[in-house]
Amino acid sequence: MSDCQGLGDCDDARMQRIYEYLDGALTHSDIAEIKDHLDSCPECLEQYDLECVIRVMVKRSCTEAAPENLKNSILDRIHSIRTVEA
Amino acid sequence: MTQVLDRTELDAGSVPTWDAAPLVPGVRRKVTVDLNAMSTMDPAVTAKHEEPPASPTPAESAAALETEVDGRPLDVSNESAEERRVRFERDAMQYVDQLYSAAMRMARNPSDAEDLVQEAYTKAFSAFHQYKPGTNLKAWLYRILTNTYINLYRKRQREPLQSNSDTIEDWQLARAESHTSSGLRSAEAEALDHLPDSDVKRALQAIPEEFRLAVYFADVEGFAYKEISDIMNTPIGTVMSRLHRGRKMLRDMLADYAAERGFRAATESGAAADSNNQENRK
Repeated sequence: MSDCQGLGDCDDARMQRIYEYLDGALTHSDIAEIKDHLDSCPECLEQYDLECVIRVMVKRSCTEAAPENLKNSILDRIHSIRTVEA
Repeated sequence: MTQVLDRTELDAGSVPTWDAAPLVPGVRRKVTVDLNAMSTMDPAVTAKHEEPPASPTPAESAAALETEVDGRPLDVSNESAEERRVRFERDAMQYVDQLYSAAMRMARNPSDAEDLVQEAYTKAFSAFHQYKPGTNLKAWLYRILTNTYINLYRKRQREPLQSNSDTIEDWQLARAESHTSSGLRSAEAEALDHLPDSDVKRALQAIPEEFRLAVYFADVEGFAYKEISDIMNTPIGTVMSRLHRGRKMLRDMLADYAAERGFRAATESGAAADSNNQENRK
């Protein structure tokens, strides 16, 4: 269990706040409040850092270029479709 | 590939309607939140995006460009088929790589992912006259991709990406709980960061798909809750809970992988069971 209750009274609540913070889902005043808290609370900051690291990892790992021919196949297919005027 | 394509009718009716808010610069982005659907959430999130960003985001700039053709305002109703095709290629084709990455999280192998993207683009093209320029084309394409995936691979026609939450094993969730309380240290953040990309993909694939896709849409694409809710056709509250649980599962699995690789000492709850997750999924 976390000792700090600055972001919520349980771990779930704290993580939810951190997620919303990271997701850009908060108001400016909420953001300022959380920022202040993270500046002064190593425990919550650690959780926040970890989520940042994971987010960056996921982004890095999942960015794949489509195979060379895919774009052309799509274009070929689109060109072959006889478009009906709506 | 042809087998897949032949099974699908390219009627516009199979493409979801799209009613997203315009993303043009200067227009306030205000998100309506279904309070009933998120009763357990902090009401503060309802005021999301209450102020417009200082400068247009890439999506907004793209949205502004979509509404012009050769510097003139676009008139969709008087557009010829050829003009529409040119406009589709100009505006939609730039997202092929991104949709392919997402398709890889759905279909799990390159060949199926390619089919999925090609199929989604074909449908999107057929329905492009229904897309309202300037209303978030990328999210529109993602929604078609997601629907195509459900229809082609999941055989759950017309059904929104249903929560499999009931089918997640209880032990899996209980584990997720026990892990958070142990708290990972900064050294752990360091350890996780050293995991190879293959581990991250493996961990993501081991998470039930509606959680996986929510995490993908938020973390990789940076979609807002409302956009994810449009793409997955679920209430915002559901998106938020999928993100919450999905991220927890992901984090636990990554911690386990790090432990397996000796990046840190295993916790007492053990690193064992996760390699079985995929087999245990229903």
